[in-house]
Amino acid sequence: MYKASTTPENPVRGVRAAIDAASADLEIETRTLLGRADLLVHGTTIATNAILTRNTARTAFLTTRGHRDILVIREGGRIGLSTFDYAIPYPEPYVPRALTFEVPERIGMDGTVVAPLDEDAVIESLLEIERHSVEAVGVCLLWSIVNPVHEKRIGELLETHLPGVPYSLSHEINPSLREYRRASSTCIDVSLKPLLSRYLNDLRDELRESGFRGRLLVITSQSGVLDASDVAQAPIHSIKSGPAMAPVAGRHYASVESRSQTAIVADAGGTTYDVSLIRKGQIPWTRETWIGRPYLGHMTGFPSVDVTSVGAGGGSIAWVDTGGLLHVGPDSAGSVPGPACYGRGGTRPTVTDAAVTLGYIDPARFLNGTMDLDVAGARSAMGEHVGGPLAIGLDQAAVAVIDLLTENMVTAIEEITIHQGIDPRYAVLVGGGGAAGLNIIATARRLGCKEIVIPDVAAGLSAAGALISDLTSEYAELLFTTTTGFDRDRANRTLGNLERRCQCFIDGPGARSFDQSIEFFVEGRYLHQIWEIDVPLRQGRFDSQQDVDALTEDFHRVHEQIFAFSDPDSEIELVSWHARVRCQLRESAVGSMERTRHNAGFDHGTRECHFGGFGMLETDIVWFEAMQPDEAVTGPAIVESPFTTVVVDPGAEIRRTLQGNLVIIP
Amino acid sequence: MVSTLEPDAADVPVIDGVLLAVLSKRLEGIVRKMHNTLLRTARSGVINNGRDFSCCIVTGDAELLTLGESLPIHLMVGSDMMAQSMKDLHPQLRRGDAFIHNSPYHGCSHAADQSILVPVIDDQGVHRFTAIAKAHQADIGNAMPTTYMFSAKDVYEEGALIFPSVKVQEDYQDIEDIIRMCMLRIRVPDQWRGDYLAALGAARIAERELLALGDELGWEVLHAYQREWFNYSEQRMVGALRKLPSGRTRACSTHDPFPGTPPDGIPVTLAVEMDAEAGSIEVDLRDNMDCLPSGLNLSEACARTAAMIGIFNSIEPGVPPNAGSFRRICVHLRENCVVGIPRHPASCSIATTNVADRVTNAVQRAIAEFAEGYGMAETGAVQSPAGAVISGFDPRNDNRAFVNQLQLGDTLGAAGPSEDGWLTLFGAGSAGQCLWDSVEVDETLYPIRVTERRIVTDSEGAGKYCGAPSSFVEFSPVACSLRVIYVTDGTINAPLGTRGGLTGTSARTLMRKASGKDTPIPPYGDLTLTAEESIIGISCGGAGYGDPRTRDPVRVQRDVAEGYVTAERARETYCVVLDKTGTVDHKKTQQLRAQTVGRR
Repeated sequence: MYKASTTPENPVRGVRAAIDAASADLEIETRTLLGRADLLVHGTTIATNAILTRNTARTAFLTTRGHRDILVIREGGRIGLSTFDYAIPYPEPYVPRALTFEVPERIGMDGTVVAPLDEDAVIESLLEIERHSVEAVGVCLLWSIVNPVHEKRIGELLETHLPGVPYSLSHEINPSLREYRRASSTCIDVSLKPLLSRYLNDLRDELRESGFRGRLLVITSQSGVLDASDVAQAPIHSIKSGPAMAPVAGRHYASVESRSQTAIVADAGGTTYDVSLIRKGQIPWTRETWIGRPYLGHMTGFPSVDVTSVGAGGGSIAWVDTGGLLHVGPDSAGSVPGPACYGRGGTRPTVTDAAVTLGYIDPARFLNGTMDLDVAGARSAMGEHVGGPLAIGLDQAAVAVIDLLTENMVTAIEEITIHQGIDPRYAVLVGGGGAAGLNIIATARRLGCKEIVIPDVAAGLSAAGALISDLTSEYAELLFTTTTGFDRDRANRTLGNLERRCQCFIDGPGARSFDQSIEFFVEGRYLHQIWEIDVPLRQGRFDSQQDVDALTEDFHRVHEQIFAFSDPDSEIELVSWHARVRCQLRESAVGSMERTRHNAGFDHGTRECHFGGFGMLETDIVWFEAMQPDEAVTGPAIVESPFTTVVVDPGAEIRRTLQGNLVIIP
Repeated sequence: MVSTLEPDAADVPVIDGVLLAVLSKRLEGIVRKMHNTLLRTARSGVINNGRDFSCCIVTGDAELLTLGESLPIHLMVGSDMMAQSMKDLHPQLRRGDAFIHNSPYHGCSHAADQSILVPVIDDQGVHRFTAIAKAHQADIGNAMPTTYMFSAKDVYEEGALIFPSVKVQEDYQDIEDIIRMCMLRIRVPDQWRGDYLAALGAARIAERELLALGDELGWEVLHAYQREWFNYSEQRMVGALRKLPSGRTRACSTHDPFPGTPPDGIPVTLAVEMDAEAGSIEVDLRDNMDCLPSGLNLSEACARTAAMIGIFNSIEPGVPPNAGSFRRICVHLRENCVVGIPRHPASCSIATTNVADRVTNAVQRAIAEFAEGYGMAETGAVQSPAGAVISGFDPRNDNRAFVNQLQLGDTLGAAGPSEDGWLTLFGAGSAGQCLWDSVEVDETLYPIRVTERRIVTDSEGAGKYCGAPSSFVEFSPVACSLRVIYVTDGTINAPLGTRGGLTGTSARTLMRKASGKDTPIPPYGDLTLTAEESIIGISCGGAGYGDPRTRDPVRVQRDVAEGYVTAERARETYCVVLDKTGTVDHKKTQQLRAQTVGRR
């Protein structure tokens, strides 16, 4: 595994540097290495970062007359913000009101044209848009998902009157109910088009010049990959392009090392902790992905893998408030100034400083010995900001910081498990990220998990996921019906349309793939409910009443799984129909990592470390690469590798499997 | 059997700042689980779309411990009183019991807020906590299809089934008598039953989690935690109050006249007395009129809570709202007072919104008057027809009956000392925690069309920091008639600004005929719209904080660019001059501002 730093001013350089690092280590030319590659799978946070830093295109928004403020009003609410804190400013809309234009038209919820499209008024708005030097146009009209005639016509008018200006139509980009979410997806998508096309073009050129002749694929928020040119056309797919892959990898390693069908995948980085769930081998999806803080950032409204991020990681700052209560985060020291132990001017204690204080991290071998750590700095920060105010000793203070971090992480995991009717005691916990091993055993113990897997690729879990992902796409159509008055003909027509679109994908980007599959599912709810759940269809057609009964039965079962109860007497409303197509790009799954040649001249040793509830203990220090397959080590111990450190609490047992991964019984 | 809850001094577990933090997070986590269950499984739009519900955990001694992300007006005060009434009325509590509670004479906010109380009983039979899930119902069997009975002279005319902590489950089984009564009395009973199951599920989840927590840590530890958490919260409140100057002010905020009120409405007059040194604050609400023959009377829970929300809005954020921090607040009430302790059979049908927000507003404005940099201006008055209860028969579904409260939203946010008002606040008591309905979802659920929902230009309460501009919402029935019942305050008495901040615009209610003609209609009403008619609700704007001539001109420039404020108003009200490109002309602005100082 090879890593290089991000280069925000020119991200292509960072990609190149990582490839160069690999070729240098393998002692071959970059050109030779790239020349041998068939596929290059790329994940990028460029879209997410552009939104967070407002570096997207100057975008205009066209919507139904009377509803100019869809992006301003959003869905109301300020849940999760401090209840009485009105010093928090109300968030700005994704597209300014000044660039929002109302279109005289209206479609009803049944698709009838209530008011015809006033084309002259549209053209007038387009001229106005031109005067504002707009670079992209998003169009979202009410009920375009039922009847897109007006949106389509506006698309034609855009082609004629603003040729060359990219636009997105809501019924194409995200055909789902709820106007704010659909408008948000549409405007986010189009605002990224200029940037993403430029970036992906640059990347392709750079790779081509360096000898790459294969296929460039980009990771999508839906845990699949798409050709770079397709992502440039619909860049909303690339949001959360990185984190979306951790569950794919987690699912793979859970299935290799554990019998459990349920896995919790926790990716612990420096500033964020991303958690996701694998339920019966499936990765759940959400339509409520926020960029930035919930209710302050923007909801993408776009279906994506459900990855919950909380601000907790090695860089999280520990502090004590005026009432004497300890907090860890949400502020992070980041990489600059970084934890106090980095000696780069950071004076506030972080989680990493707590780990250094307790002896978990060897200052001489941190990041393979590439960085000296200031142990005294870590200890003094911990004493001044935590130990002192709480009137407890240094080690106790550091243990407290780790304990509270664990609690924050447990809360995040409970949100995605217990809240969805999943009992974490029957799940395997898969850890990834550089900070995975610090408290994963404590986290598992709190949750009652009986098994932990830390893959050999843990430090690059998302990248590993990219290597085993498939080419995927998803199509959706809206059709209201109920299980009691089921409209079989229209449902079959809808499913037929979806299947045709999937087949086009198989024949297009999916040509020459090894295996193809199409899954159908429907979003439904009990009568009077409004939050739909996804229910897989057993097949892409309803041939008889029996098939409808099967769907009814499946709905009750899925509802029971998620909410712990079902209501068999209630009618079920079916809203939105989906087909997901998957084309397998490789014949076999990923192999295991090559053993690294760096061991810093170290195999085994002991050190004094502090464990909460035990105090100072003589602790075995084990070098990951030196562990023999199936050799068990019992805590207290520390397993070190160039990328991460695993703290093995007293009583826990850790072993390296034949596949090279770590399995822990907490 | 009740064991002594106070162990010997030597056995008192030590709760340090670490355990305090960890346990607080775990209890908050339990309340979040309750919320999630209710939102996702409830059947009525007011709960699952509008999020008009709350959950909390109360101690065995009936003190509020953890409120979570609830609507403050629902449970800040009242959760304790409800739990206490459950204990008083049912001295023998057993595991498996559950109680239904909506009596405003026993601690509930108003009859529409049906609550489920589950006593958490440990293995020794000791009552350790009470879990409460409260949800605003789509219907509660009132005389009219609305949960806001503005015209009721008393609880009999109001008509709701009142449950003063009535046992609804024993040994985890429904007492079917109660369920049958509700199913016969409450409109669209299946919807009610679905909501009942959702609330019960939420309270039972908390019970399960709390029992597990007690087993894991020991009940003595949890008991010691409560004490320390209350002490910690009290100290946070003392610290927050000490930052304010001492002072005493009176303030008045007047609710518009409604049926059953005097012709000038209900002036809510109160005194706030702040003792910074002692770290305590008092609000006196006794000098107000007696209970009225109207649904507008406050319940005791709402009277106390509304005053407290005004205080919490006025101090530094982050003080946990619980029985500990409440020790530093004293709210004086008297019996048989419109903003006090109602005497049965006075109706409290509308207790959570209209007059309650007037209490909150008077408190936060009073504090702003004597403490610069604290307090707030007045929040816009609730609630326009965008929050009406609608009912009828849906022609799309075999004329199936429907009834529900819309939450299309009113803006209303008041300006504070450091920021503009929150745009989607939707009432002081809800603190912005409610969600706004999606237009497409509402058009799916009910046979209506929302023709317009937008923000109104030049409607904000101007100030150094501005109140939220008002919202305009218009809707009409589709191919049927529609009964609409609504209760709008703020048409006559607009929200008042503070420290030189200006009033927000007042509310307006209109009916639009097929001819396109708009007719003003009364601010409260029970109408049946035909398919050719629509109703329009224009909410209040929130009021401003500080002199608008001291507003950062760059903020004004942005307000004009975004169409919230016209260039004329920028010049006249804010004394900000913009050039042809819409950019601030700082020199001319300075001159204009210098000329007008002292003239207002």
